[in-house]
Amino acid sequence: MLHNKYSFNQSSTELVIFGLPDYSNNDNNDNISIVSSWKLSIINKPEIEGSIDHLKSVIKAFYKCAALALLDREEKIESELIDLNLDESGSYRITLKSTKPNVKPLKLKIGYAEFSDIINCFDQLKNFNKIKIDFNELLPKIQKKSFLYFDKNKFSNTIIPPLLALFTISIFAFISIYFFENKSNRNKNISMISNNSNIVIKIK
Amino acid sequence: MFAISNKLNLQHLFPSKVSIWKLRSNNPMRKSQNFTNINIEQFDGLIKITSEMSKYLYPYIRAIVSSKDNYLNKPELWNDFQTRFIDLIEERFNTESIIVKNLINYDFNKDYITRILLTLSLASSEEGYNRLRFVFANL
Repeated sequence: MLHNKYSFNQSSTELVIFGLPDYSNNDNNDNISIVSSWKLSIINKPEIEGSIDHLKSVIKAFYKCAALALLDREEKIESELIDLNLDESGSYRITLKSTKPNVKPLKLKIGYAEFSDIINCFDQLKNFNKIKIDFNELLPKIQKKSFLYFDKNKFSNTIIPPLLALFTISIFAFISIYFFENKSNRNKNISMISNNSNIVIKIK
Repeated sequence: MFAISNKLNLQHLFPSKVSIWKLRSNNPMRKSQNFTNINIEQFDGLIKITSEMSKYLYPYIRAIVSSKDNYLNKPELWNDFQTRFIDLIEERFNTESIIVKNLINYDFNKDYITRILLTLSLASSEEGYNRLRFVFANL
């Protein structure tokens, strides 16, 4: 059986894809439509390898993370096979989960430089016409910031203080109106009649 | 920029260096501003030029980002870049503006510079143009 292998390199990273052509799809001998395995090597880090499902999960997570980084949005990326998050020190923490039982998750920490190298390798794979992987399902689907989109923290910081101020002013206004009305009612009950020098005060 | 624009066959959008300079001076943070309308084709052309330029500059961009990642061991490149960035901003931008003041502040501009470099490094691949377009469409 013909087994093809292609590798994609970028600085510190190498992605290697192994697979077979699908002759039922009229593939050439040098094509790969059935990915049998893959491995991702990063300098000074453990090698990552797995099945096509793992590869798709990893690509999807990295593409989404890249889009979020460009949009300056923070969102946790977690799936059955991979977790990928940016930590406070500005490094990406990757947790790769195995489908095999009793295998502990592999944890990696990479910087921005390695992250962009990995994205570059995946981009090379996407644009390589001899390997047929449907990337449409792997591209990030990010909800556009719409009129209805709001950040909870921003909302609480911007809207709640003026609302509280308005509420306080309203309460003071109601209290003042209440006292003013009581005073005016008291004045209504007292009528003064003045006829030249005779002053009569009637209290009802 | 003009050479890259010619290489990408964008002469009809940017016929001279002056036309590119005019677009650059649309930036309200610059000392000399000039408001001209940018049409969608020119906007698209600028994204293509940015992506193509970052391909050429990727080794340098990566080295600076790597220096930031390993700042304790290799701080020189990052520090040099930060100093040069601030020099250029002071030279060309209106330093009376609060945004520009933050850009030239060593404590405040680290995240901003990191974001610019990461954006350029992610725009440097074959998919860079599509990625930048996607980002602008989702801002």
